[in-house]
Amino acid sequence: MADRPLATGRGWGLSDRPQWSRRLLAILGGASLAVVLGLWAGNHGLTDLASPGSAATSLGRVTGLVAADLLLIQVILMARVPLIELSWGRDQLTRWHRLVGLTSFNLMLAHILLITVGYASAAEAGLISEAWDLVVNYPGMLLATAATVALIGVVVTSFRAIRPKFRYESWHLLHLYAYLGVGLAIPHELWTGTDFVSSPAATAYWWSVYALAAGCIVVFRLGLPVYRSTRHRLRVRAVVREAPGVYSVHLSGRRLDRLPVRSGQFCHWRFLSGPGWSRAHPYSLSAAPHPDRLRITVKALGDDSALVRRLRPGTRVLFEGPYGTLTGAQRQRTRVTMIASGIGITPLRALLESLPYPPGAATLVYRARADADFAFRAELDALAAQRGIRLHYLAGRRAGPLRWAPHGHGSDVALLRRLVPDLARHDVYVCGPDTWMDAVLDTARRLGVPEAQLHSERFAW
Amino acid sequence: MRRIVMWLMGTIAAVALLFSYRTSTSGPIGGPGLVAAAPRIVSTGAGSTDAGGSAGSAGSAGSAGSAGSADSAPLADAVVNGGVARTRWGPVQVQVQIASRRIVDVRVLQQPNGNRTDAEINSYALPQLREQVLQAQSANVDGVSGATVTSDGYRQSLQSALDTAHFRG
Repeated sequence: MADRPLATGRGWGLSDRPQWSRRLLAILGGASLAVVLGLWAGNHGLTDLASPGSAATSLGRVTGLVAADLLLIQVILMARVPLIELSWGRDQLTRWHRLVGLTSFNLMLAHILLITVGYASAAEAGLISEAWDLVVNYPGMLLATAATVALIGVVVTSFRAIRPKFRYESWHLLHLYAYLGVGLAIPHELWTGTDFVSSPAATAYWWSVYALAAGCIVVFRLGLPVYRSTRHRLRVRAVVREAPGVYSVHLSGRRLDRLPVRSGQFCHWRFLSGPGWSRAHPYSLSAAPHPDRLRITVKALGDDSALVRRLRPGTRVLFEGPYGTLTGAQRQRTRVTMIASGIGITPLRALLESLPYPPGAATLVYRARADADFAFRAELDALAAQRGIRLHYLAGRRAGPLRWAPHGHGSDVALLRRLVPDLARHDVYVCGPDTWMDAVLDTARRLGVPEAQLHSERFAW
Repeated sequence: MRRIVMWLMGTIAAVALLFSYRTSTSGPIGGPGLVAAAPRIVSTGAGSTDAGGSAGSAGSAGSAGSAGSADSAPLADAVVNGGVARTRWGPVQVQVQIASRRIVDVRVLQQPNGNRTDAEINSYALPQLREQVLQAQSANVDGVSGATVTSDGYRQSLQSALDTAHFRG
């Protein structure tokens, strides 16, 4: 399904929903674990497991190896590799990040315990004294201990109960210590562990995976953003108030037709206007991209978002991205319904502008807290008149914590059925706060919308 | 921003301190795979290489032909000390005796002996390893379960001795 803005006609094309790449990447991930287990077995892993004297050490080895492999997979998954981003989308990757990260962390704890037990029993020493001996006397083990401390810090600050106590920016900086953990663990893997250098195949495998992970970080998290920011030279053109606390930032730039960005996507933005530049913020495009300009729209929530409205024209802008899969590549049907709440209108507003659809085939359901809070109202009305969009503005507070509709519109299901009677034959794009989106998606499923036609992306961190 | 710089400097200082610790840059000491001392030929038999036409080499002259140069010609009769394999539990070094291009004996020169467990392990594992080597006529043996570390060191040291003798089994 083509999704090209009428203004340029070329440069925005991305491949269709890449099913093949999901399969390929999943196979690669599985193969990497199989290789690790195979190398361990080849280095007496299984025979050691069978003998009581070396079983704990052998289990300790395999847990450590799998933990290291998962940690590297983790680094690659979060390296913003375009193929990976487009295959699953950020919110899916974030869920996996949590799962893979915790699994790796638990295996690492098991590794530490099992190795200590195994070495202690072989040396007929106590657990504590053996642990001390390992840390103090074995090569690279003090560094590995520091790596463990770094990773414990990263995991603990990410617990759901603890994370809200940190500002996002501080939490993110702490999270970068995971890279330190990955790096500081290498010496003990080479010098005290025997599996990395047990055979040429093992050495080749492990160094390749480390090189791949480091390469992905350098290329996609550092190199590509620097290259794109330099090449496209974005500057603030104007800041426009759209609704109370909601501001659009108009950006000008060069050769943006060569930037593979499309409606529905977001970037991480840094405005070089002063102290806040060290923190990047994810904001979605709120209009179809043009070769010389972009527009993003921001709700002034945090300290830094509030700075947006004081941005001066001419301010340089750095960015990482584009990211996100809430695009026209997901289209399955001719008819499309967009359901937005609050600032969630931004990507959907851009999609309404650039998606192809015949007059009368598109519907926008837009909910905000009060009439004054609808952003883009004039724009949307004009777009609706031009392209035949059916618009439904729903103002008011949510009828309940598990409801998406405002008070006074009947049940969620009845309301949506009344607004879009043939919803099951529509693509449904949803954007808004997390719990609100859950309620909408639930209603859409009850109305018979197949999973493949439901498109949403979560932006809560 | 100032706090970020402080954190960064603190982190760099901490990592630098960590790296100043002796084990952080020592390289491996315990891992098998590293032979610390070079293997050494103790004695060779008269006319010891196949190139010289040893009497005991009947029927297998082909291997001498493939040796390439005189330097890498197999020793038919020799006693060679292997390198010292440093394992997690201590050094392992073996001496191999080759007669008529066969391994006829392996003696242990050094073995882990830090504690009673080591002595126990050695007493049952080392004879088994010797038997395996004499059977296999190479260092490519299964090893003894429960004595993996020592087995690895044993293989390492033996292989270095066999390599020095250009032994091809």
